[in-house]
Amino acid sequence: MEDAATPVMTTASVAVAESTGISPGALKAKKIERARMLFWLLPPAAWFFVFMILPYCMLFYYSLGSVDYVVFKPGLSLANFVRVFTTEPYLSVMLKSAKIGIYTAILSSIIAYPLAFYLAFHASEAIKRYVYLLVIVPWWASYLVKAYAWKTILGTGGLINASLLGLGVIDHPLTLFLYNEFSVTLTLAYIFTPFAVLSIYAQLERVPTSLIEVALDQGATRMEIFRKIVLPISIPGIIAGGVITFSLGFGDFVAPALVGGADSIMISNIVINLLGAAYDWPMAAAIGLIIIALGLGLITLAHRLEHQFQVRF
Amino acid sequence: MAAYIDLIGIRKSYGASPVAAVDGVDLSIQKGEFVTLLGSSGCGKTTTLRCIAGFEMPDTGTIRFSGEDITYSQPSERDMRMVFQDFALFPNMTISENVAFGLRLKKMRGRYSEAQIRARVEEYLSLVQLADHGKKMPHQLSGGQKQRTALARALITDPAVVLFDEPLASLDANLRKAMQVEIKRLHRQFNKTFIYVTHDQEEAMAMSDRIVVMNKGRIVQSGSPEEVYSQPNSKFVANFIDRANILTGIVETVDGSTAKIRLASGATLSAPTNDATISGKTVGVMIRVDRVSLGEDGSDQRNILRGIVAERLFLGAKNEYVIELADGAGRISVHERTAGAQASIGDVVPLCVLPDDIRVLAA
Ligand SMILES: Nc1ncnc2c1ncn2[C@@H]1O[C@H](COP(=O)(O)OP(=O)(O)OP(=O)(O)O)[C@@H](O)[C@H]1O
Ligand SMILES: [Mg+2]
Repeated sequence: MEDAATPVMTTASVAVAESTGISPGALKAKKIERARMLFWLLPPAAWFFVFMILPYCMLFYYSLGSVDYVVFKPGLSLANFVRVFTTEPYLSVMLKSAKIGIYTAILSSIIAYPLAFYLAFHASEAIKRYVYLLVIVPWWASYLVKAYAWKTILGTGGLINASLLGLGVIDHPLTLFLYNEFSVTLTLAYIFTPFAVLSIYAQLERVPTSLIEVALDQGATRMEIFRKIVLPISIPGIIAGGVITFSLGFGDFVAPALVGGADSIMISNIVINLLGAAYDWPMAAAIGLIIIALGLGLITLAHRLEHQFQVRF
Repeated sequence: MAAYIDLIGIRKSYGASPVAAVDGVDLSIQKGEFVTLLGSSGCGKTTTLRCIAGFEMPDTGTIRFSGEDITYSQPSERDMRMVFQDFALFPNMTISENVAFGLRLKKMRGRYSEAQIRARVEEYLSLVQLADHGKKMPHQLSGGQKQRTALARALITDPAVVLFDEPLASLDANLRKAMQVEIKRLHRQFNKTFIYVTHDQEEAMAMSDRIVVMNKGRIVQSGSPEEVYSQPNSKFVANFIDRANILTGIVETVDGSTAKIRLASGATLSAPTNDATISGKTVGVMIRVDRVSLGEDGSDQRNILRGIVAERLFLGAKNEYVIELADGAGRISVHERTAGAQASIGDVVPLCVLPDDIRVLAA
């Protein structure tokens, strides 16, 4: 108990010392504060170094080298980065991955919004628990299994075709459902929608009932309440969900491999190939770094947008 | 004669709860009145107000508003606006946009031009002394300013009735006082009907034309602040409205309109009554802390009690003495001006109280 209270007090006294000129007591408090901070920060800092900083440094080191037959040769050349932008298919596949990522983000948001809305405004506590369960339980099954499930739904012998045949709508199984961008997007959206639901729900949940009641009291229609109040407040949630689903979709390699067509190959598939069969680690590292840079840019942008649209009560 | 707003036998319980939140409320409100629903937490004030506003529908009962049955009509169909405790400002809009909200809705289309809306918003912002704050966002305002914005937003649509659900509960004491004055001023200025909910008896006394005291979903007394203060009809009201000393005694005789009541200490008090049937019964005797004084002034009009000073508290302009009466007859708190009579702990002192300042309550 005592320990929990002390840091607060010392922080305050440090602040006072800094604003009033430094007294010896405050200096000592500051020292103790520092020592304590170091102690608590050490484990996460070590973790961060071993699993984040170090791998990035290695990645960077590899990306500057080259491969002679199957032997890695260290170097200091940017040739790999140039190759990403000048040699096919790297850039075009990256763009296509981005496109799939965007489709995934859009589709996920469209599916997620009404669900999040229902959960935030209309669902009872019991229903909320059930929906959580329904969202969480599929995560116990492997991603691979779920992607496979879509294969059986969308395929020529799958659920959709069988139903359409049975209903007599068509007389040959249709192939347009599977092995294309559509099936990849659908599968990715199916798997990643929960992330969008959670981020939109978290935002909608902040809308107090009294806001809706004031609007109703003033005579606003349901549509006006949605357009003027609920939607603007939920924008940061949509952005956050969009960034997550985009990133997960962009970097995915299972869905394109399972339900994608010959031309549905995505950037992660290429990286895997470079690491494996092609044995070109430097090239893989260069692509990886570019993706990380893009990701950082995207997150910074999204962060700024979220901040701009975030409301404060 | 039907009043402006009539609540007839309103009963409402939530979900499967066996206890009704509002348990048979009958209330008539006149046009232009400032009525306050007063009661402790959970007594059903908010529920009653929300039934009037249309956010809740009573299980049974009828609500009439200028002759019309509005029990089941939508909030927007009633010419009333509600002001919430949490201000409920739209966080994504500026203060001006918040105030203009009701004027920019589809149902108002064509009623005002954009220029007229702007002028009207200006007018109402200066009415609540926020003329320079229109461009700010809600989170940039203080609590009092937020509540003034909410007031302007409610008033700008010119409703006949304004409903307040503890609008000042989240403000600090000084601000609350200032806002009370402001709301009172707006009531005078607009001459609208205000229905106000609070659990703060001082606030209710300061602001209302009429106070409706509620307890456990029912109305226990309804009257002007003076009435509920000096003539509470029950121990509950006597205790709830300001500080009261309540003693117990037996009525010895009722002579005309005066009862002689004997306390456990042996002292006898004369008190006014209009109920001859209480003779011989045990009753409660209420004496307000500011209606009893230390010392005896010799006139035989007064009732005299004796006791020992048990506590003395300095309250600024006055001292509070707690006097222990003999034979476990109870304790009496006395407020005495600091400049007035003095006594120390342990002193045996006489207390005097005018018969008219004693209220006899059913035990
Ligand atoms: N939405 C609700 N669901 C279930 N019970 C409720 C609900 N709202 C109120 N109640 C219950 O109804 C009773 C009356 O509540 P109400 O809010 O009307 O009291 P109040 O007088 O406004 O109290 P307070 O001063 O605390 O605001 C309480 O016992 C409360 O627990
Ligand atoms: Mg309440």
